Amino acid sequence: MSPQHLSRDTKRFLWIGILPAALLYGLFVVWPAINALMYSFTRWDGLSTPVWIGIDNFINLFKSGSDFVTAISHNIYLTVVPGSIILTLALFFAWMIHLKVAGSTLFRVTFFFPNVIASVAVALLWVLLYSTTEMGPINNIRQALHLEKIPFLESARLLQSIVPMMVWSATGFYLVLFLAAMENIPADYYEAAHLDGASPTLQFIRITLPLMWDVLTTGIIFLIVGGLKFFDAVWVMENGRPSPATHTMSSLMYAKVFEEYNVGYGTAIAVLLFVLVLVVTRISMRLLKRERLEY
Amino acid sequence: MDRRTFLTQASGCAASASLVAAGCHFDPIDDGKTKTIEVAVFEGGFGIEWHKDMARRYEAMHPGVKVNLWGDPRVDEKIKPRVLRRNPPDLASCTLPVWKLITAGRLYPMDAALASPAYCAEGKTWKETLRAGVLADYVYEDKTYALPSNLGVWACWYSKKLFREHGWDAPSTWDELTALCEKMLAAGIAPLAFQGKYPQYAWSTILSCYQRLVPFEKWYGIEDFTKGAFLDPSFVKAADLMQELAVKYFQKGALAMTHTESQMEWANGRAGMVFCGLWLKKEMEKALPDDFEMGCFPVPMVTGGMGDPKAIYSGGAESFFIFKDGKHPEIAADFLKFLLSIEPARDYVKRNDSLTPVIDCQVGIKISSALQSAVDAIEGSTRMYSDRLNTLYIEWHRTLVQQAQADLLRGAITGQQFADRLEAGAEAVRNNPNIYKPPSRGVPAL
Repeated sequence: MSPQHLSRDTKRFLWIGILPAALLYGLFVVWPAINALMYSFTRWDGLSTPVWIGIDNFINLFKSGSDFVTAISHNIYLTVVPGSIILTLALFFAWMIHLKVAGSTLFRVTFFFPNVIASVAVALLWVLLYSTTEMGPINNIRQALHLEKIPFLESARLLQSIVPMMVWSATGFYLVLFLAAMENIPADYYEAAHLDGASPTLQFIRITLPLMWDVLTTGIIFLIVGGLKFFDAVWVMENGRPSPATHTMSSLMYAKVFEEYNVGYGTAIAVLLFVLVLVVTRISMRLLKRERLEY
Repeated sequence: MDRRTFLTQASGCAASASLVAAGCHFDPIDDGKTKTIEVAVFEGGFGIEWHKDMARRYEAMHPGVKVNLWGDPRVDEKIKPRVLRRNPPDLASCTLPVWKLITAGRLYPMDAALASPAYCAEGKTWKETLRAGVLADYVYEDKTYALPSNLGVWACWYSKKLFREHGWDAPSTWDELTALCEKMLAAGIAPLAFQGKYPQYAWSTILSCYQRLVPFEKWYGIEDFTKGAFLDPSFVKAADLMQELAVKYFQKGALAMTHTESQMEWANGRAGMVFCGLWLKKEMEKALPDDFEMGCFPVPMVTGGMGDPKAIYSGGAESFFIFKDGKHPEIAADFLKFLLSIEPARDYVKRNDSLTPVIDCQVGIKISSALQSAVDAIEGSTRMYSDRLNTLYIEWHRTLVQQAQADLLRGAITGQQFADRLEAGAEAVRNNPNIYKPPSRGVPAL
């Protein structure tokens, strides 16, 4: 039924139903967002009166040697490197489990397990694993083998150290996502392909991938958005004091607003982060768009 | 009157009587209406038990005042939004960007309270009971806006027992320090623990080392952000010496350790020494073995240096601020005056094994070897000095200096490149009209 065919009472009822949620959304999401947008055009320390400076904050964000440009490069690194490994591993393991290799049920649970742990707890766990004190098992093993300790948590190499942690904690989620998509594909297609002599690899490329493309696209978008918003592991592993060598856009935004009281500049980062997530997601969706296959 | 009320009032009377007996002067605040002041305290290594007990004592002395005192390790996070909403506590010890608050007119000047009679010091104003120089860091347009609650000393800490066992002496020159480090390496002990996740722990050592190299007229050029100050060859040398310590003598993996991890390595004897402030003892209290005898020595003199060999990098820490937007700033100032008066200060020394800015607060008290070692360093010093660049130029210090230090310590840049980076950042600050730069202080009078 189109909205034109709804009775006046029904429409009124719907409006009354929507109103509380709309009010709350407006008050706690839309209004702060509008305020943030306005503050991004000001020089404001959060204490004195904001001074309108036009787009100066945005120009400063992209000045040569700016922390923000470095932070974006860190976000790109944390999106592309772990993202590609996660996608590859998740697809591979999902395919293996789909092929019912021995112990596949156990693998499914094992791989998914890290995903149920809160991200802060995951980061703390890896801080312990990477520790250079006698608490750190990885460096203890290295020492037992007469190898030098590696300061995994040193700021200069922290981003590389975060990659295995991200792969460990996120692969299971994408595996389950992809596996669900694979298991929805009718078995007849594979049987027909098998009779035609197609190898499992060819079946994967010609049948599985095209038929789960929508889910794969969703997974890629999740990884891109997660990479652009990346905050918690950097914050935890740097003990709340990330340096320019480790700042991501989100941690830089937090530091500018809440630690340096550079509220105008910090909100400019927030605005740009919002725009970036929106634009990159849109572009990714367009690039990954394929003709939808029905089955 | 119930039993609890009776006991509270009785203990209040006893506290007041003991303070009067100790020569304490005070006019009870009581106009018939109870006034409540809110005090937010940074809950760090020293805890807040002392603050709470002093609040109860103050309430007993001033029946018209109630002190709502609370503490939190993240007190800043809790009060920041309240400061922005202009609903802050009356008094707080925290690390908010204090200069922004001062220049925005959000803090209450303490000068009237400082000029008023001190608690427990007949015939003296409060200011006269405090160590010289502790008020200097937060003076703006001739008014004082903050007061530290404890006194810090930057020194190199070691285990006296370990030194005795190996026949090592505390070094008095930089060459002796590096020779000692070599001996420790030969004995299979990492010479220096370092709080590598916080490279700013190197800052006080670099500045102390620079002080040993140059007269104070030059050293305060850094503090005053004088053009070219960081390019001074002696500053470059100080950075090079720090780098040498880091590359050759820091414990392996130290750059990936937090302050507690590295200090634990030192407490457990896997590292021989650690540069830290006076808070180290309290911070590591539970981890130190019972027979651990802490000793310290100031940053050693650099051979050929032109600086004062007996000056010591030290000053106030954990500063208290009074908010102008608080409900009772005058009472907050009076409560702070009480906290930093001789009797509470002596209590602080006994409980926390640390010092306060109150003159002679440790005299006659049996103190630990660690504190005695620090007191000896202070009493043997010709000048106590420190910088305030981290509070004045927050962004420069938190980002540029922190990163430059991390790169210097891991050997990625030279001392000259370190100095160049700091100077370039300082020049940007000098050219930024939106960052407050205080007038040049020069060398403060002793």
